[in-house]
Amino acid sequence: MVIKIFFFSILIFAVSGLSQTDWVRWEKVEYSYEKPNRFCQRDYSFDTESASGFIAKSAVNTYWYFFSELDGDNCPYSPSCSAFFVQSAKETNIFQGTLMFFDRFTRDYNIYKRYEHYPRVKDGHYYDPVSLYTLDEDKIEYIPPSVIIKK
Amino acid sequence: MKITELLFFFMLFTSVNHAQTKDFDFSSPINIKKFADFLFCDRDYLRAALEYERLISSDVNDTLLFKIALSYSIIGDYPFAIKYFGNIPSPSSYVNAAKLELIKTYYLMNDYYGVRSFYNDTLIEEINKYQLEGNKLFNFSYLFTKDELPSKEEFLFPFNLSEKNEVSEYYDWKQDPPYKSSTIAGIMSALIPGSGKIYAGEIGDGIVAFITTTVFSFIAYDNFKAGHNTRGWVWAGVAALFYAGNIYGSVAAAQVHNAKITFEFNDGLNVFLQKNNYYTPAYGFCDEN
Repeated sequence: MVIKIFFFSILIFAVSGLSQTDWVRWEKVEYSYEKPNRFCQRDYSFDTESASGFIAKSAVNTYWYFFSELDGDNCPYSPSCSAFFVQSAKETNIFQGTLMFFDRFTRDYNIYKRYEHYPRVKDGHYYDPVSLYTLDEDKIEYIPPSVIIKK
Repeated sequence: MKITELLFFFMLFTSVNHAQTKDFDFSSPINIKKFADFLFCDRDYLRAALEYERLISSDVNDTLLFKIALSYSIIGDYPFAIKYFGNIPSPSSYVNAAKLELIKTYYLMNDYYGVRSFYNDTLIEEINKYQLEGNKLFNFSYLFTKDELPSKEEFLFPFNLSEKNEVSEYYDWKQDPPYKSSTIAGIMSALIPGSGKIYAGEIGDGIVAFITTTVFSFIAYDNFKAGHNTRGWVWAGVAALFYAGNIYGSVAAAQVHNAKITFEFNDGLNVFLQKNNYYTPAYGFCDEN
């Protein structure tokens, strides 16, 4: 009986242990189908690296706290208009950043064929980065609307 | 009962341990080569290259080097591809093909100056079919950069009649691309809000810009007219910001439009080159006889 169990165990372990060692690379991954909620992960810290960034971030923090948190995640773009303002003020200066923000605000109202103009981020927002609008042609990296942005 | 069990285990172990009784040397060079060829034709290029590399330590030949280089080029490991293409010895029958493949690799790396300097350094002294194909790639590289184009006659010279029409269109486009002037876009939006955006191809944005600027300006005007000066100035400030933002945005929209045009042009060029396989020949390594 002991011998039977011994041989049977060897057989089982030999088959399961050495059957296909390569499969580990292809094992399934845990994938979450939850929509990433960037809205609840806002960074309220104040930027202290530049005066432009500080002014813009202060205004945006106020807007987030008093308006946007109540209103919800309604901006169709990524980065959102408020985040776009902060980023543009950081990359350029507060004056240029303000102009960029008002231009973005105008584009935000336009609902006509957005899908033909902007690529989509995985979460469904239209990708419209600051780098396209700094007036520095070397920074412009055109991405066609057919591309899905993974970030 | 014991005899049955004994026989059962005997059969089991003999079938497992002696399943392949033939004395087969999988590590012999000829078998490694067969396996590498199989992987290469199965498009498993990384593993094919690794198998070929096992062979070159004992037997260096130009076909192996070429296949390794080709494998690395296909999987996008360009530094290795350049290294192996460059190691093809001079009297080899693959030397010219390797030069063309090297130019193709520089293209795939978007190194157009590399294309030109390599062509100038290597192919210029040889008059053969590969120089002609190399010349096509050399001329084509000018379409990807901002450098001054050679004359049209000189540019089209290496291309055959069936290609000349299409290549001529690319040349003309490059000479006079349908770009929009960012200055004109800015001035137009300064005169009529939104018109610069429409000029840059953003019709919807232009209309929205016109409406927002006009509406806020009207609100400001209406408040001033009614004697509400403070409110009037607030709305005038908002209107001014939308107005200035629109001028700025029109300049940016023209730049983005131009970037889009350039992207689509380069995309077309890449499709053309891919269609012609970068003028590299078909090697027939995997053709069945």
